[in-house]
Amino acid sequence: MKDTNMQNPKISAKGVQVYYGDNQAIKDVNVEIADKTVTAFIGPSGCGKSTFLRCLNRMNDTIDICRVTGEILIDGEDIYDAKVDPVQLRAKVGMVFQKPNPFPKSIYDNVAYGPKIHGLARNKAELDEIVEKSLRKAALWNEAKDRLDKPGTGLSGGQQQRLCIARAIATAPEILLMDEPCSALDPIATAQVEELIDELRQSYSVVIVTHSMQQAARVSQKTAFFHLGSLVEYDDTDKIFTNPQDPRTESYISGRIG
Amino acid sequence: MNTHISSAYDRDLDAIQTLVIKMAGLVEEAIMSAAKSLEMRDTDLADRVRAGDKVIDALELQINEEAARVIALRAPVSKDLRAILTVLRIAASLERIGDYAKNMAKRTGTLVDMPVIAGSDAALRRMAREVQAMLKDILDAYLRGDVALAEDVRQRDHEIDQMYNALFREFLTFMMEDPRNITTCMHLHFMAKNVERMGDLVTNMAEQVIYLVTGEMPEEARPKGDKTAYVTDAT
Repeated sequence: MKDTNMQNPKISAKGVQVYYGDNQAIKDVNVEIADKTVTAFIGPSGCGKSTFLRCLNRMNDTIDICRVTGEILIDGEDIYDAKVDPVQLRAKVGMVFQKPNPFPKSIYDNVAYGPKIHGLARNKAELDEIVEKSLRKAALWNEAKDRLDKPGTGLSGGQQQRLCIARAIATAPEILLMDEPCSALDPIATAQVEELIDELRQSYSVVIVTHSMQQAARVSQKTAFFHLGSLVEYDDTDKIFTNPQDPRTESYISGRIG
Repeated sequence: MNTHISSAYDRDLDAIQTLVIKMAGLVEEAIMSAAKSLEMRDTDLADRVRAGDKVIDALELQINEEAARVIALRAPVSKDLRAILTVLRIAASLERIGDYAKNMAKRTGTLVDMPVIAGSDAALRRMAREVQAMLKDILDAYLRGDVALAEDVRQRDHEIDQMYNALFREFLTFMMEDPRNITTCMHLHFMAKNVERMGDLVTNMAEQVIYLVTGEMPEEARPKGDKTAYVTDAT
C-alpha cells in the first residue's frame, strides 16, 4: 500500500486492532488523517469502517466486549491514555450519527446543552452567542431563529440532522466524525448537508463514513477503502475514483463482483 | 475484469464498444478506398467514399449519445470512467479520419482529368495502407488492452511522417520543373497531408488506449517526423 505519512496529521493511527469478544473487527490499521480536510471511509457493510470511526472518539468504550489495541494519536497525544477523560475527548471530537437524534428539548437547548455541561459559557449572553454561531455554521439559523423555543423533533429530517451538526460544533470541537449523516435524508437535504460539510472543512478535520460512493467523491479530499477489517487503500479521492491501485478497490467502487 | 453486479451495465458498455468497432471498420475501408480511387481514377468509388462518410458521422453521434446516457445513469468511475472517456475520444478521432478520407475522395474527382505525376499515386496508397494497418493494430490494442502494441503504433507514426516528407519534396520538384504541374501537385499534396494527419489521429488513439489501461497518459515524447515546416527548396 502507498505510504500514507503526512506532515502534521491531526489524527494518527498506528497498528490499531479492534476485537468484539473473539471476533477481530479491525486488523492492523495504520492511517494518518489531515486537519481541515474531509476524509471519507468507504467499504461494504461489516468492513469495519464505522468501528474504526468510533475508535476515534472512544465511542467503543461503551461496548463491554469491545477491545482496542494499538495507538491513536490526536495532535500527537494518545487518546487511549489512562489520563484522558473520554467525555472531554468527545467534546473535542464531535460525532453526528446516521439518524438525526435531537434531544426531546427545544432547538435552543439542543445546541446549548454541550456548552453548558462543559462550562463553555459564563452567562446567558455568551450562551446565546454560541447557539447562534453554531446554528449559523450548521446553515440552520435562518430557518430556526424564530422558533428556538420549539422542540427540535418538530423540524424536518434534514433540519434535524443540521441541528445535530450544530449541537456537535457547539462544544468547539476540532474533529467531526460523521457516520452516514445523509442516509436518512432526501436528495435536497443531502445536498444541503454536503454543502455544509464542505464549509465545515475550513474549521475542522471531518471524517465521514458513507455508503454512497458518489457522496464520498463529492465531499471528500481523501478516501480510505476498508475491506474485511483492513484498510486496503488510502489516497486522494480523485485518484481513488479515476485510477485505484488495488483491484479490490476497483471492484467495489465500480460495482463489480469482487 | 470481473463483471458488474448490474448486468445491464455490462451490456451497455459492450454495446458502445460494438459501435466503435463498427465505426473503425468503416473508416479503415474509407482510407483504402480513397487511395484506390485515386490510383484507379475510379470516380464511382470516390463518390461512394464521400457518401459513406455520412454513415461514419451518424455512428459517432450514436456513440456520443450512448456514452452520455451511461454517464448520466451509471455515474461510471475508475476503469469504467476511463473506458467511456476513451470511447468518446476514439470516436472523435475516427470521425476526423473519415473526414480526411472524404476530402481525398473529393480531390480524386478533380484529379481524374489532370496529368498523372509519376509514382505519386502508388506512394500515397502505400502511405494510406500503412495508416490503415496502424488503425487496425490500435483497434486490436484497444480490444485487448495491449499497451505494448499501442506504444508500437505510436512510434510507427514516425514512418508516416517520413513518407510525407519525401512526397512533399517530390511534389516541390515537379512544380519547379513545370508550372503546369502545380494544380495537380497541390491537390496531391493536400491528399498526402490528409494521410499524415490521419497518422497523428491514430497516434492520439494509441495514447488514449495507454490511458485506458494504465490510467496515465504517456509522458515520454515521441519523435516528431514532419520536417516540412523548415523546407525552403526542393533539394
